[in-house]
Amino acid sequence: MSYQVTIEPTGDVIEVEEGQTILNAALRQGVWLPFACGHGTCATCKCQLVEGDVDQGDASPFALMDMEREEGKILACCAMPESDLTIEADIDVDPDFAGYLVEDYRATVAAIETLSPTIKGLTLTLDRPMTFQAGQYINLQLPGVDGTRAFSIANAPSSRDNIELHIRQVPNGAATGYIHQQLKVGDSLQLSGPYGQFFVRKSDPKDVLFIAGGSGLSSPESMILDLLEAGDQRAITLFQGARNLSELYHRDRFEALAQQHANFTYVAALNEPEPADHWQGFTGFVHEAAAAHFDGKFSDHKAYLCGPPPMIDAAINALMQGRLFEKDIHMEKFVTAADGADERQRSALFKRI
Amino acid sequence: MSPTKLNLKDKYKLLTRDLDWEFSYEDRQEAFPYEEFEGIKITDWDKWEDPFRLTMDAYWKYQAEKEKKLYAIYDAFSQNNGHTNVTDARYVNAIKLFLTGVSPGEHAAHLGFAFTGRQMGGIGARVAAQMQSIDELRHIQTQIHAMSHYNKFFDGFDEFNHMHDRVWYLSVPKSFFEDARTAGPFEFMVAIGFSFEYVLTNLLFVPFMSGAAYNGDMATVTFGFSAQSDEARHMTLGLEIIKFLLEQHEDNVPIVQKWLDKWLWRGYRLLTLVAMMMDYMLPQKFMSWQEAWELYFEDAGGALFKDLERYGIKMPDYTETIKQEKEHLSHQAWWTFYQYTHAAAFHTWTPSSDEMDWLSEKYPNTFDKYYRPRWELAAEMEAKGERFYTTGLPQLCQTCQIPMMFTEVDDPSQVAYRESVYNDERFHFCSDPCKSIFDNEPEKYVHAWLPVHQILQGNCGGGGLDKVIEYYHLDNGAANLEFEGSPDAERWKQWKGVA
Repeated sequence: MSYQVTIEPTGDVIEVEEGQTILNAALRQGVWLPFACGHGTCATCKCQLVEGDVDQGDASPFALMDMEREEGKILACCAMPESDLTIEADIDVDPDFAGYLVEDYRATVAAIETLSPTIKGLTLTLDRPMTFQAGQYINLQLPGVDGTRAFSIANAPSSRDNIELHIRQVPNGAATGYIHQQLKVGDSLQLSGPYGQFFVRKSDPKDVLFIAGGSGLSSPESMILDLLEAGDQRAITLFQGARNLSELYHRDRFEALAQQHANFTYVAALNEPEPADHWQGFTGFVHEAAAAHFDGKFSDHKAYLCGPPPMIDAAINALMQGRLFEKDIHMEKFVTAADGADERQRSALFKRI
Repeated sequence: MSPTKLNLKDKYKLLTRDLDWEFSYEDRQEAFPYEEFEGIKITDWDKWEDPFRLTMDAYWKYQAEKEKKLYAIYDAFSQNNGHTNVTDARYVNAIKLFLTGVSPGEHAAHLGFAFTGRQMGGIGARVAAQMQSIDELRHIQTQIHAMSHYNKFFDGFDEFNHMHDRVWYLSVPKSFFEDARTAGPFEFMVAIGFSFEYVLTNLLFVPFMSGAAYNGDMATVTFGFSAQSDEARHMTLGLEIIKFLLEQHEDNVPIVQKWLDKWLWRGYRLLTLVAMMMDYMLPQKFMSWQEAWELYFEDAGGALFKDLERYGIKMPDYTETIKQEKEHLSHQAWWTFYQYTHAAAFHTWTPSSDEMDWLSEKYPNTFDKYYRPRWELAAEMEAKGERFYTTGLPQLCQTCQIPMMFTEVDDPSQVAYRESVYNDERFHFCSDPCKSIFDNEPEKYVHAWLPVHQILQGNCGGGGLDKVIEYYHLDNGAANLEFEGSPDAERWKQWKGVA
């Protein structure tokens, strides 16, 4: 038994199990709510109940006083739904978030392309058009695989009937293994979307830079195509990182875009080029390429990072050393089932990064 | 459903942040005269992100409700003779230490936040600091009320305010807060708002509040819950100030680093009193000082500094020293108070054999080797009717004002001494960090009011020990000396029907 909790003003919807707190479910489902102590004494996570019933759990009578309970206040860290709920939390709606509805789609595999030795490009034809923001992702269901897997959409939102995904084979990964070895053109798949808070903050006029690693090129590709199609004039720089030349896919595509658009710059970085690559470009990690390109100074940019957790961490460090901070750093971390283990204890210093 | 209902952000903006105004005919620098002299560069106060959005009207409403609830519980505690339900009369000495040593610090914090709540140029920061200022005032008031019940039945509480300005060990917290309050607004915010109220707060409040809970002190526990509902705001303010300063200008980074180095050490030295309280003063113990340090500083603080590294901030070098000291700190402190308890407003005692076993278990590397023999000797002397007190006066550290009792990290049998010469005068310190704090700003510390110096100069009653005790308003023979045989102990036996 679970309940649906709608969180205003963003409209996020989460599923909360019987006996689970709203905060616990929200954080597990990637929805951030303000919180601090996590056990009902500090009241940082106080929310307004708009509709529905809750069990107030272990909320301290000082953190949530009787008069507040009467006004319908709850502590997200203690409250457990007893019906479907709508709550209002102290969070901001991102003015650039379009809030397109999440829906279920049936998709047919239209093409499977080998982008690199480890990455396949998948084109799916949808049963009806999907409206999404460049940078968002879908959840894909695969035969014989428990649950769903998230993949970022790589095409621009202007093409709504087909979606393209870049999928790296995770060693021993059930879902990516299936896609790489068994999936065939013409197969039918179930998916839902669009999801996520990774999109270009167009209302902020600052120049943008993208740092992409491996198959994390997908979202940035969609976002850059979207910006260029719209004739956006701000300076756009893409840093693409790969191990060696064979893993550096879509290079021709971005070099061509850089030729056509004066405001777009493309920088590729290989951290372990093969001798046969005869690599003349930047050798090193992609965050080092970005630091070298901008002379270590990133102020007055918006940065969008997409790729595996170590790349994201290294990129955040480089950006912050170059004095670009949380507010202007947006990211999509490609976490695999194997990444959970090394989660270190985090402080409350940062919310999103 | 009204479509015009304001969300929290807009409400906060209109009811709080909009209270600011532009200076059209007054010079802004004159209005905020302290904003620049510390070298901190603020380029844009609009980048301040409100750590919480509590409008002033809601603030008063909530705080009033908390008070009502809290005082109802105090009344019930009092009517039910709650003081007889604590684990043991020895426990009450922990809250004597709290009232004399910690509560005046709340008042000092109140004054400090009132200062920064006036002097910071950004309205969001000013409002947050003003609310914290009022909170701190509420905290000392509610603490005094919580303790006032104990004051009717135990010695050592009544003159806490008088003592705060005079008694030797109380000069430690007093000088700590005065050091912070005489700094500029940003140093104060880093010192108290961040270092103390965020990084170290769990090492001060959790030990006292858990200690109260484990020892049946419902009044103090209830105060703790009431205060904790304010602390979350204080902690988020501490976090925002540090992020804000580090993000505003790169020149702020080394200044903030210097302040962190100074204030985490100053705060840690102050926590010596907590270490001793946890390990020796609680009849029912809940955690050792070493365990608390590991949990709240090494783990939680370690994660924080890992994140701060992204700004170019480093964990202070001396944390290795603290790691070594954590197995010695509480023992050396209680030993010092044991010897000087004739001049203290609480009682001391030798740990029982069960307590010594607990200490051996918690401190396997140090207790049996260095400290158990001392306590066994003390107990032996006591049994012979020779309970000893040291009548000489200890040398104090010029910076932290704690007696020289800390040993060298690599030699627990050697007390650490450091010194610096400034303007032909020699100054003494307990440690390298205290010496370097002095060396950085010698003018700030050369005139420190060191209680031992003042006694020797005749400024504390002007005579022998009896005169000093009178000057302290210590009720000689009641509030001070050994616990066994004290009036507190005798009354407790009567209440409990023990012969």
